[in-house]
Amino acid sequence: MKDARPWTYAALFGTLWGAIEATLGTAVHLGKLPLRGTIMGLAGLLCLICLRRLQPRAGVCLLAGVVAVFLKIFTLGGLYPGPIIGICIQALALEVALTGTGGRAIGAAIGGFVALATNPLQKLVTMWVVTGTEAVRSYLRLLQESAAAVGLEGLNPTVIITTVATATGAVGAAGGLWAWWVAGRVMRRLGKRS
Amino acid sequence: MNRLAGFLLATSVVAVLFGPPLYAVWAAAIAIVAAWILDPPALRAGLRVGAILAIVFAASITAGVVAWAAGPQRGIETGGMVMLRLLVLTVGAAVLVRSVNAETLLRMTRKIGMERLGLVLGLALNSLPRLAEAAADVWTASRVRSDGAVARLRRLPGVGEVLLSHTARIAEEAAAAASLRGHSALTRPGNTLRSPVRVVVVTGPSNSGKTEVVTTVAGQLQSVGVDVVGFVQPGELLEGKKVGFRLRDLASGQEAPLASLSERDDGDFGTRFQFSDGGFRLGREALSRTAPDSVVIIDELGPIELRGQGHMPAVRKALAVADLGGAMIVVRRSLVPSLLAELDASDAVVIDVESEGGRSVDVIIDALGARILVG
Repeated sequence: MKDARPWTYAALFGTLWGAIEATLGTAVHLGKLPLRGTIMGLAGLLCLICLRRLQPRAGVCLLAGVVAVFLKIFTLGGLYPGPIIGICIQALALEVALTGTGGRAIGAAIGGFVALATNPLQKLVTMWVVTGTEAVRSYLRLLQESAAAVGLEGLNPTVIITTVATATGAVGAAGGLWAWWVAGRVMRRLGKRS
Repeated sequence: MNRLAGFLLATSVVAVLFGPPLYAVWAAAIAIVAAWILDPPALRAGLRVGAILAIVFAASITAGVVAWAAGPQRGIETGGMVMLRLLVLTVGAAVLVRSVNAETLLRMTRKIGMERLGLVLGLALNSLPRLAEAAADVWTASRVRSDGAVARLRRLPGVGEVLLSHTARIAEEAAAAASLRGHSALTRPGNTLRSPVRVVVVTGPSNSGKTEVVTTVAGQLQSVGVDVVGFVQPGELLEGKKVGFRLRDLASGQEAPLASLSERDDGDFGTRFQFSDGGFRLGREALSRTAPDSVVIIDELGPIELRGQGHMPAVRKALAVADLGGAMIVVRRSLVPSLLAELDASDAVVIDVESEGGRSVDVIIDALGARILVG
């Protein structure tokens, strides 16, 4: 019988990610907490990078993403497209980045950057579906007013969103490296060579 | 009726997401009625106080932002719309979550040739309680070791690290289970079945005469004065095809329909059959007669029971009775590893009626032990 570990690891780490998304994710999204996308993105990075370091096989991150989406669908938050798209993008970004770099730390940083930089776009898609066009317009106006309040008057919403995306991407890259370090500690804890 | 309610619920979700506000009010009302018809416990679970408060909170925040940007009128309209959308989505998710289990997933993915994906998703569902338990333990340990919120916050990365390690260990256990008992083991949740006596597991392929053998064994035991309790489930055939099952109480001889083949492939418990409460009730009554020195006969335990549903609660009670004379459980061949994995019995023996052929009855009586024959 073939080794079932890559499958069971992907299932379990996907379950952990999906459970965090379904519980903490739903709570922070409904509570409209600031930086909720970044917090959930970091949780996803931790699960995926740890999984990939423990089971360095191509495809495990994608499979974990499928499991997380599957669990997320069965919750209130799962019926919005935003988090679902977010999970898919994050799993795909980590899979491509880590496979492309041969499972090195730089892959975790690149994957983390891409995964979190797409957060502001997911937010707009979710907002459009759940609350409609009016709320999206209000949100963009809120962004402009906030920028004006700190002395950045007359900025285009696209520029603001690109700046925010780059900033969250940078946090994602740092988060990816941090997750790489944590995954190394987990491996040592489990008696595996890191 | 259920199919119509399901259609109405799905339509309500689409209408509330993409339809105009007037439709949303109707969609919310229809969704609640449809969910109540489909699965009242799911509706109650979905609309808990906490969930309703969270919906109201989220809608209020949106209303506040829109009111600030576009005026109070638009704020109230948008907030109301958000509330209705969240309400319908909550109800839809609550019904959906209760209608999916590992067995259904496996069957669905098999149909599209993606059995492994079904096993992985099934494992995900089955491992959720275990992961939740691990998370609770890790959190409790962290709370005990740290004084105050700040200290707990500092320990948070460590908590995450331990939780990830536990997840890896559970994955290792699941992989070991798959290697030992086949990948199908990944879809079975743990339901330890305790029995103080040796359990005789009778198995064999479909239509191999398991029920006839068990009925003969029961008759022979009763003829020498042994107290036999439990039931058999003879199949109902139509043109050579199994279309249902009846349940017969071995002590009273009373019968009741248990399951019938669903024509629309919308059976209960993720099976092709629709089950009757009367059959389960008679099964419970039959097993409730278990007393010291009784021989318990259960024909049969299926995937439903191995998930902890169907007859399983009554079976657990019956097998827990002290000083039982013996216990015999019938399962199909594919479920023998799962049953053995979940049995916590002093001893167990497996008898395959196809391999034993005409000797099956004698072999089973021998396996049940001399104590019964003396009795």
